[in-house]
Amino acid sequence: MRAIRSSIFMMVLGFIACKKPTENIKIVVDTDIIKYTALVQVTDAQTGNAAPANATITVVGENAANIYEISGKKEISLVQGMVTIGLHPNLAPTAEVPINTTVEIAAPGYTTQRKNISFTAAQRQQIVPIGISRVGNTAPPIVVPPPPVYQDVSLNFTGTCPNRPDIEIRPSVYVSFKKTGGTEPYRYLGYMDKGNISTNLLALGETYDFQIVYGGQSYIVAQKIDQSSYNLTLNMAEACNF
Amino acid sequence: MKLLPVFIFSFLLNALAVKGQGADTLKRPIAVQLNVGTQGIGAAVNYGVYEKLALRLGVNAIPIKANDVFKISGFNSTSHVSADFYNIHLLADYTPFKQQPWFRLVGGFAYFLKANGNVRIIPSDDYKYGDLTLTEDQIGYVDLNVDWKGLAPYLGLGFLKTFPKRKFNINLDLGTYYLNKPEADIIGTGILTGNSSQTEQFQSNIKNYRWLPILQLNFNYKF
Repeated sequence: MRAIRSSIFMMVLGFIACKKPTENIKIVVDTDIIKYTALVQVTDAQTGNAAPANATITVVGENAANIYEISGKKEISLVQGMVTIGLHPNLAPTAEVPINTTVEIAAPGYTTQRKNISFTAAQRQQIVPIGISRVGNTAPPIVVPPPPVYQDVSLNFTGTCPNRPDIEIRPSVYVSFKKTGGTEPYRYLGYMDKGNISTNLLALGETYDFQIVYGGQSYIVAQKIDQSSYNLTLNMAEACNF
Repeated sequence: MKLLPVFIFSFLLNALAVKGQGADTLKRPIAVQLNVGTQGIGAAVNYGVYEKLALRLGVNAIPIKANDVFKISGFNSTSHVSADFYNIHLLADYTPFKQQPWFRLVGGFAYFLKANGNVRIIPSDDYKYGDLTLTEDQIGYVDLNVDWKGLAPYLGLGFLKTFPKRKFNINLDLGTYYLNKPEADIIGTGILTGNSSQTEQFQSNIKNYRWLPILQLNFNYKF
């Protein structure tokens, strides 16, 4: 019976046409599963540089069991001093009851530091800068001036999967940037929602490296800014594990 | 495509002109018809205008539902497919050769009150996002929708006599409707929400899917 129904269906809908209905159609997968997130940016408090490569982050105390890396992994590690953490997707803070947690940053030669993070209903994304100081260093932390403001530029990122050309990823992650070839550390650009980010921190004529940290990996793409909109592609293997 | 209505109109005029000459001996039989075929099941009333020309006014409906007809390579999923075609049609049956009354040319129009197809694709594997197992709602589904609603011309051939010699006969239609240019879209939910961005490509792929082939068996009862 099923075969008959299928045959009839294919006859009725299988009109005489050359093109397959699904030809060149990609399967688009969003990564905005963890809705309440915080970008933890750990720097050397005195230099402003990214935390040392062997710095670690541990979620401790209240709600630690419900905190995940943005890729859904329980393992949370810093990549060039950055990681995005967030609440289990089944949890949501309310206006009356925020969800609090604490992260502990440790690095050899540095004073271990703890920072409380509060996830609130009003703020789905937040930046949590943490400056760590060398043991015994009492110098005041460096103050990094805000980046200059330019014209608006829209960046559309598409994640691709190795060996799966039929799949596209629409990443929802924090983006950092720095001038290509520059020695300064990556700075926060903004939150990319479903692959799109608009920013006014990019100068015309400059070439930038854009970085996202996802699943313990750093993904970088470079682009010279000459116009107001760009479509960029990132190979995001860590987002393709399905 | 614009030539098709002109052709049908000319063919009707020709038939009327030819048979107007023999109007004295005119019989105007009426028959009811039940049919089954690729446009589903239906009913019609046949009216003999002239010996060589009859008109058919009827309705047809085909609601189809099927599972797992549609597969996407490399993506484990189940699919629920549905198609709903409901039309009112007016067709002319013209028998061009007196010696071969079993052969007819058939032309006309149908108005498709509903002509849509839907495929719902649901990922069938447990979807792991890192160490998280997502719920069905979080995973979501993708709907591919196509709508051909509107007026559609028909052209075809008929086999066996239009009207029964006595009370009952069976005849056959083989032809095609040329449907409206389809409107197609893709709607996704959950982590598949972004698939709506594929609508333009889908619309482009489906734009030439306009021929609706008809193979239909008709059961006629003459009053």
